[in-house]
Amino acid sequence: MNALAPVLASVSGTDFIQNLVSGLALGSKYALIALGFVVVFRATGVINFANGAFVLVGAYMTYQFFQTWEINFYLSILLAMAFGFLLGVVLEALVLRRLVGEAPFTVIMVTIGLLFVMDNVVTAVWGATNLDLGDPWTGNVVEVGGVRMSHRDLWAMAFTATVLAAFLAFFRFSSMGLAMRATAADPEAALAQGISARAVYRVAWGIAGLVAALAGLTFATGNANIQPTLGLIALAAFPAMILGGMDSPLGAVIGGIIIGLVQQMTELYAFEYLEWAGRNPQTVAPYVVMIIILLVRPYGLFGTPEVRRV
Amino acid sequence: MDKRWRRLLAAFLASMLLLGACGGRDDDNDNGDAAPPADDTPTDTADDDDDGNDDEPPGDPEPGPGFDGETIRLGVLTPTSGVVAIIGEPLTAGNQAYFDYVNEELGGIAGQYRVELVIEDTAYDPSTATQRYAAVRDDVVAFVQILGTPVVNALLADLIDDDLVGGPATLDSAWVRQPNLMAIGGPYQTQAFNAIDWWYSQDENEGTVLCTLASDDEYGDTGVEGVEFAADNLGIDIAVQAEFPAPSPTRAAQTFESQISQLQGGGCEVIFFVATASDTGQVATALSENTGYNPTVIGQSPSWLGPFAGIPYLQENFYLASEGAEYGDESVPGMAELVRIKDTYAPDQAPDLYFNFGYLQAMAMTQILEQAVANGDLSREGIIQAMADVDELTFDGLSGDYGYGPAEDRVPPLVSSIFRPNPDVPMGLEAVERDWEAPFAGDYVYE
Repeated sequence: MNALAPVLASVSGTDFIQNLVSGLALGSKYALIALGFVVVFRATGVINFANGAFVLVGAYMTYQFFQTWEINFYLSILLAMAFGFLLGVVLEALVLRRLVGEAPFTVIMVTIGLLFVMDNVVTAVWGATNLDLGDPWTGNVVEVGGVRMSHRDLWAMAFTATVLAAFLAFFRFSSMGLAMRATAADPEAALAQGISARAVYRVAWGIAGLVAALAGLTFATGNANIQPTLGLIALAAFPAMILGGMDSPLGAVIGGIIIGLVQQMTELYAFEYLEWAGRNPQTVAPYVVMIIILLVRPYGLFGTPEVRRV
Repeated sequence: MDKRWRRLLAAFLASMLLLGACGGRDDDNDNGDAAPPADDTPTDTADDDDDGNDDEPPGDPEPGPGFDGETIRLGVLTPTSGVVAIIGEPLTAGNQAYFDYVNEELGGIAGQYRVELVIEDTAYDPSTATQRYAAVRDDVVAFVQILGTPVVNALLADLIDDDLVGGPATLDSAWVRQPNLMAIGGPYQTQAFNAIDWWYSQDENEGTVLCTLASDDEYGDTGVEGVEFAADNLGIDIAVQAEFPAPSPTRAAQTFESQISQLQGGGCEVIFFVATASDTGQVATALSENTGYNPTVIGQSPSWLGPFAGIPYLQENFYLASEGAEYGDESVPGMAELVRIKDTYAPDQAPDLYFNFGYLQAMAMTQILEQAVANGDLSREGIIQAMADVDELTFDGLSGDYGYGPAEDRVPPLVSSIFRPNPDVPMGLEAVERDWEAPFAGDYVYE
């Protein structure tokens, strides 16, 4: 208790809460990305690093629909999500399906390759310079009890809550959601029950593309924030998926929020109390938390123990 | 049928991906040969421009690494992918446009040796840069551009070991005394201390609380050093020195909320901002969404990109410390020529601060290579000697002239210019103050 006193005294209560809110919002964005990881892993057992490419393309396609083709902003979001779904389906059909039955390592390397290839495609099409989405949310805030919440952050949190609810309902009540669970658990048994693994894989990749496009939008808002490195942010969300449990939508969201909060709070206090940790401890802190949680719970907070690891 | 369609689709997608992959880098390398010829007759110009060498014709330089007796190959180590490609690409376009002009209108260096660029993608990553350097060092006579303070630091020992010259596209004052580095422009430290001196020279800014917001790396340190030097000389305190992680492939998303909490908590009214352009938009967003806190931000030159001129917060509260004149200001002798060369050899390139710097680097390298040819020696050692033999690198007013000679005698420009955003002018920057020199500028020790 005594050790905490100087820390608490150095930052005002408002700053603390402000950064807490900011960490929650950031965590919501990470959660959206992590949900994209989860849906592919849950259905196929593959860790899809190409998820970063979906995030990137989602951000640029929203820009394309809204700024270049001057379509209504909210309709642009829906169109970008539809494009993300289509991109996921096409990549699964053209690339991933040919790798069914290959070693997980091979498939993972292909998804990493797709991430870097799509990064170059985006640069070739839209250029390397920053683009301004010009979204209607930037610059608008609501203030509650002295704590600011930007419209951008509120929308990100709303998107995450909605997608999580939809995921839970999908996996619990829809036949395709149940088919995904069955296929991931035992593809041959699922096939014997008439479940089409091909359709399951395709839909899973499509959903991942759709959700990642929404995540891309949340990172693209703000002033001139669209840039080719947006796809790499997906790697920052990776610990969220791992510590939440690789096949758990709820775990992805909780994991995302934990990572967002840890990053934000480390940043808030690092300048004063973590100088001994070298430069940029906030970049490392999420991975430290991930390692600690995995030491205690090897399958993550909400993961299923049967999950295969790579 | 189904398979055929899938194969066709797969082939189409693969070719699209390949096109995209090629577009990211190697196109730039091809531009040199593909550049359109100038309207003027180049051979006449080449003959006329042989001034200075009439009395004492030099012996022909011997072929060697990077020089086959006809073509001089120069390396470019720059990010053409990743977050800092937004700087690397226009810089390289500036290098290329000027050498296209030299090749097509002047007949090459000293009217006879064409220049070819060998462009390698560093991704702004020191370890990648080290690999790319090793891959091309035997194919070039020198590197006209090496982008990034951490990258230059990583390569400096190799440059010295290999007797190679490199042109840092970064303005750290540490380069001034390095015999192997072709430093140009006022160092970042100079930009910083001149900008702070200019700010406090305005009566209405007296007593304002000074702070810094810098990336947590060597580049960030440069600006902070300059601000500290100014603060010492002006007798003011720096209330808060906030930091944030430098751009890297592993960096998480930045909100800048905690840094702004620090700055606001310290009552900061003017913030010197040391960052690359990849973070400026996010900082502007965070400040604009922080109701009731509107500090003035003075950015170090790499923090700017043209699209930022449209950001309302920056229009109201931002200055940029850089040097030279407003784009298109033809009262500056070299500006009309820069505009003409850009329009001729890089017509698709928008006016850009980094294009201009790349152009200046090529101007500087041309002067050094002309000296090396005059000495009859285009070897690596010959180019280092040529740098020591040149008295001054001149830029026709586009940048301050740089006293050259042996590294220990070099004197960088001591002036900086202050700009502010204006979306209605090229590059989005309007000059507020030209060639400002702090009274204590001459006291800064370049180590």
